[in-house]
Amino acid sequence: MEKLQELADLIINGKAPDTEKLTQELLDSGVTPGEVLNDGLILGMGEVGRRFKNNEFYVPEVLIAARAMKAGMKILKPKLSETGVKPIAKIVIGTIKGDLHDIGKNLVGMMLEGAGFEVIDLGVDVTAEKFIEAAKENQAQVIGMSALLTTTMVNMSSTVELLKKKGLTDSIKIIIGGAPVTQSYADEIGASGFAQDAASAAELLKNILN
Amino acid sequence: MTTRERFQALMNFRPYDRLPVLEWAEWWDKTIDRWHGEGLPKELTDRYEICRYFDMDIYKQDWFQECTPDCPEPPRYGAGIVNSVQEYEKIKKYLYPTNILDKKSWELWAKEQDRGEIVIWFTVVGFFWFPRTLFGIEQHLYAFYDQPKLMHQMNSDLTEWILKVIEQVTQFCDPDFMTFAEDMSYNHGPMLSKELFDEFMKPYYKIVIPELKKHNIIPVLDSDGDISVPAYWFEEVGVEGILPLERQAGVDIAKLRQDHPKMKFVGHYDKMVMNKGEKAMRTEFERILPTASKGGFVVGCDHQTPPGVSLKDFQLFLSLFREYAIEAGQASQKEL
Repeated sequence: MEKLQELADLIINGKAPDTEKLTQELLDSGVTPGEVLNDGLILGMGEVGRRFKNNEFYVPEVLIAARAMKAGMKILKPKLSETGVKPIAKIVIGTIKGDLHDIGKNLVGMMLEGAGFEVIDLGVDVTAEKFIEAAKENQAQVIGMSALLTTTMVNMSSTVELLKKKGLTDSIKIIIGGAPVTQSYADEIGASGFAQDAASAAELLKNILN
Repeated sequence: MTTRERFQALMNFRPYDRLPVLEWAEWWDKTIDRWHGEGLPKELTDRYEICRYFDMDIYKQDWFQECTPDCPEPPRYGAGIVNSVQEYEKIKKYLYPTNILDKKSWELWAKEQDRGEIVIWFTVVGFFWFPRTLFGIEQHLYAFYDQPKLMHQMNSDLTEWILKVIEQVTQFCDPDFMTFAEDMSYNHGPMLSKELFDEFMKPYYKIVIPELKKHNIIPVLDSDGDISVPAYWFEEVGVEGILPLERQAGVDIAKLRQDHPKMKFVGHYDKMVMNKGEKAMRTEFERILPTASKGGFVVGCDHQTPPGVSLKDFQLFLSLFREYAIEAGQASQKEL
């Protein structure tokens, strides 16, 4: 449908007020909330992720696209619950204890929301206990941890250890990312996955949950 | 060679006796705290006194602050203090101070530089860093699209201030180099596109850099992260060098040298190997030595020596640094 493609283009171009308006128009004209979400908003954010991965888009373009997505979601969210459309999965995210650098984490959150996940953002400087508590409370299937510093990255293992200690590794997966983090570090601490960049996080999550 | 002659020879791709043995940035306070507990005399706290204790080359730096000490602080890390033209106008009384120099220090430094004992450099914030401190980290990235006029106003005012800094500094001496603090890259490259760089940063660099060059001051970009792509953009506006070339972000000096034959580089020694023993430290020196021996490259830790490095580790690092510094110098006699 042409109008849904138009909605996707508004996301790609970061036009928040127009996205909000067109989302409302589409719902009013009888397009289902599921179609608006999947064939409009998610389609647009998917393209943003692709361009980001290929260095055609940079952080400012992703931010304004995510803001447009949020504007559309504001209209769409109540309709989605009314019609029983559920998120792919729930994830709690945050920067690791001691780390206040959150832009990477925010980008991951935006990309995941844009891919149809429900994101519970715990903010910065999050302890292992808080990650696990929030995941349990929200019935989240995944915890996403981010670190910018090599000095704080080491705190990621505490969350993995605590999750093991509590016997929750079957119900809650852990993914990690951030500038100093690598796949080998993820393997070393026993995390379920590592995403190289924000755009790869959604793909990683889908693979893990499958 | 004096410290200054060595620097000039290196930066002009001429043969040199040895590489400078250098910690180019200010010492990390946690590292010094650790070393004080491991035998570094407790009374040693001054940046350059510590360099003298280790018998290292001394490059003296002045970082000129674009805001006054009473400038309002952001409410939390990463937040901003300006979100509109009106707020910027209000805050301006705390920005762009006129008396920026400690004249006594600069008189002394100029004499030391004249005798060749030190290299002098200064730092000012650049056209990405500065609006970021005012807007806050995230709002700054939105501001490229939401508040372009204000962003231009900030950078235009900063340009005027930097020109005044250059004017004041050069009344004492011509510093050997200077850095624009930008930190505009992360481990996947730049935070912004070439289009945004051209629109919001390039015009201001084009004004400031000719003034530096009139005084033979080498303009250097200071940006953490992977600068391989923006290196081209900065070269285009006349920036001649880059530091610290972080290895962890994937910067590869051999590739960088191949792509930018005339650029000058500072740093790049992977700080993460400095506590991994002699073999790892030697491997790292041997990785970068072929590029260093061809000139234009002041080797040093790729930011600051981290607190994970013990005093004993650092002393071993220094002894190896001295050995390879001479080896690079000898190679330069043949290659340059």
